[in-house]
Amino acid sequence: MSTPLLTVAKLEVVYQRAVTALQGVSLSVPRGQIVGILGTNGAGKTTLLRAISGFHGIDDARVTDGSICFKGRRIDNGEPHLIARAGIALVPEREKVFPNLTVAENLTVPAGPRESAAERRRREEQVVEFFPKLAELRSRVAGLLSGGERQMLAMASALVCKPELLLIDELSLGLSPVVIDDLMARIVQIKRELGIAVVLVEQSAAVALELADYGYVLENGRTVLDGEVQRLKSHADIQEFYMGRTSAGARRSYRDVKQYRRSRRWYG
Amino acid sequence: MSRRPRASGHFRTAYAQDLRLIQTGTERWAMAACVVALAGLPFLASPFLLDLANQVFLAAIGALALMLLTGYAGQISLGHAGLMAAGAFTVGILSRELQAPFWMTLPAAALVGSLLGAIFGLPSLRLRGLYLAVSTLALHFLVVYLGGEYESRRGYSTGIVIDPPAIGGHAVSGGLAWYFILGLTAGGVLLLCLNLLRSGTGRAWAAIRANETVAEALGIGVAGHKLLAFMVSSLLAALAGALFGYYRGFVSVEAFSLFLSIQYVAMIIIGGMGSLLGAVLGALFVTLLPYGIEAALRTLPGAERYAGLLFAVNYAAFGLVMILFLLLEPLGLVGIWRRVATYFRLWPFKHRPLTGGQR
Repeated sequence: MSTPLLTVAKLEVVYQRAVTALQGVSLSVPRGQIVGILGTNGAGKTTLLRAISGFHGIDDARVTDGSICFKGRRIDNGEPHLIARAGIALVPEREKVFPNLTVAENLTVPAGPRESAAERRRREEQVVEFFPKLAELRSRVAGLLSGGERQMLAMASALVCKPELLLIDELSLGLSPVVIDDLMARIVQIKRELGIAVVLVEQSAAVALELADYGYVLENGRTVLDGEVQRLKSHADIQEFYMGRTSAGARRSYRDVKQYRRSRRWYG
Repeated sequence: MSRRPRASGHFRTAYAQDLRLIQTGTERWAMAACVVALAGLPFLASPFLLDLANQVFLAAIGALALMLLTGYAGQISLGHAGLMAAGAFTVGILSRELQAPFWMTLPAAALVGSLLGAIFGLPSLRLRGLYLAVSTLALHFLVVYLGGEYESRRGYSTGIVIDPPAIGGHAVSGGLAWYFILGLTAGGVLLLCLNLLRSGTGRAWAAIRANETVAEALGIGVAGHKLLAFMVSSLLAALAGALFGYYRGFVSVEAFSLFLSIQYVAMIIIGGMGSLLGAVLGALFVTLLPYGIEAALRTLPGAERYAGLLFAVNYAAFGLVMILFLLLEPLGLVGIWRRVATYFRLWPFKHRPLTGGQR
C-alpha cells in the first residue's frame, strides 16, 4: 500500500490548557477512500476534525502531542485557510454556508487554487453537476435554503476549492432519510469520479457504516475500535451500542432498552 | 426592436454576463446620458451649485471608501473623519513645511492613510461590532489631537492655509476646474471600487462579512483580507481628506469632528449598505439635505425669525431621516431605486418569475 494521504499519530488535543478532548488518537486516510468516524456526543469526533482542519484554535484548543501529516507535511496547529489551500476542505456541522449570498455567489466566493478564470468556471459548473438542484436554486439566497439544500451547497462550495480530502462533520444531522440517501449517493459518486478521500464524522452508525471503507470508533477521546467496515458491522459491541441489537443478533425491544436505562440510573 | 417575443425582464444566460458592468442596451444609454449631463452641468450651473457638486464629489469618494470597509467587508469604523483629517494634515504639513507640490503630497497622504489603516485594522482581528467601533474611535481622537497639537505648536491656531496646487505652472482655482478634477477622481475611485469588488479580493470580503469561519474553511485568509480592507478604505479616505484640504485651501481640526464620521456612516446607511451606487446616492442626499432644509425654511413666512434655529433643525432632521430610513427602508435609497427599476424592467408584469431570472 502506498503512503496514506493523511496520517494522524497519537494526537492529543487540550482545550484551554485544561480539558483533554483527545488522547492518543491515531488514524490514517488512504487516497480515494472514505473513512468513517463513529462516536456519541462528546466522544471527540468534531474536535478531531477541527484539529485536522486547523479550526480548533477558535475554541482555544491546542494540539499538545502527536502529529498530523498531510501528503507528508506536518499541518498540526496550522492556519485554517492555509490548510484549506493545501487541499483539505471542511464541511462544518452548523454554520456552513454564507446566508446573505445567493447560491451562485456562494460558489464563486471560495478561494481555490491559482488558475485561470475559465478553468475556475468550468469547475464550478462541474461541481454543480453533482448537485443538479443547486442549478435551479442559483439565484436563491442561501439563508432561505432547506437543511438538505444547505448541506449540498456546503459540499459543493468545498469541492470548488479542489480538495484532495473532504472532511464532513455530521452529514445526516437533522435531515430526513430521503435526503440522507440522496447525499450518500452523491458522496459515493464524488469519491468515484473525482478520486477524493472523505472523512465522515457521524453519530448515525447506519450512515457511516454504509458509506465508509474503513471505520474508527471514538469514545471519551480515545480510539476504542477500528477496522474494515465489514468487520466493524459484525462486531458485537457495534451491534449492541449503535444498532440496538443483542449479541444474539435480534433487535432489542423497546421494553428492554428502557429497562437497561433504568437499571443504569438506579445502580450506577 | 427585436422581432422575437421577449419575456418581461432581463435574464442572464451565461456566467460571463453576471460579471459584466453594463448589462443592457438601456443601461448603456442611461450611462452615456449621465456622463453627458455631468460634463455639461458645470457650464450651466451657478458658482453656488458648482460648489455643491464639488462637495458631493468629495463626499462620494469618502462614502465609497467607507462602503468598501463596512458595506462589503463588514467592518464597522467610526474613525473615518480621523483618516480624512490625517490626509488633509499630511497635505497641509508637507506643503507648509517643505513647499511640496501636489504630486508629492497626494501620494504621501495616501501612504499615511493606508499605514494608519493597517495599524487601526489590527484590533479588527480580535474585536467585532460595537467593540471594534469603539477602538476605531480612538483613531479619530488620536489624529485630531495630533493635528491640533501641530496647529498650536506652529502658531497656526486657526488652521493651515494651503496654496492651490499648480499644474504646469497654472494654479488650479475656481469651481469649474475643481469640478472636473474632483468629478474625474470620484469617477476613477468608483471604477476602482467596482473592479476591486469583482475580483477575488472583493469576493473574499463578501465571504468575511457573511461568515468568517466558513470563509476560513474555504481557504480565504481572513486576517489578511481584513487588514487589506482597512488599508484600501483608509487610503481612499485620506485621499478624500487631502483633496478636501486643497479644495478649501485651508485645513483645521474643527472640520473633522466626530459628527463628520457619523455623517459618513449615515451616508452609507441612507444610501443602502452593500452597494456602491448606494454610497454615491447617500453622499448626494446627506450633502444636500442641510441646503434643502435651509431652502425649505426660507419659504416659510417670517423666515428671519427661524434663522437662529437652522443649525438645530439641521441636526434634528438629520437624526430623524436616519431613523426613518432604518425603520422604513433598511435597504436605503438604493432599495427604492431597485424597486422602481424592477417595476419598469418587469412591466407589464408585477412580479418576477418564481424560478430562474435575475435577482
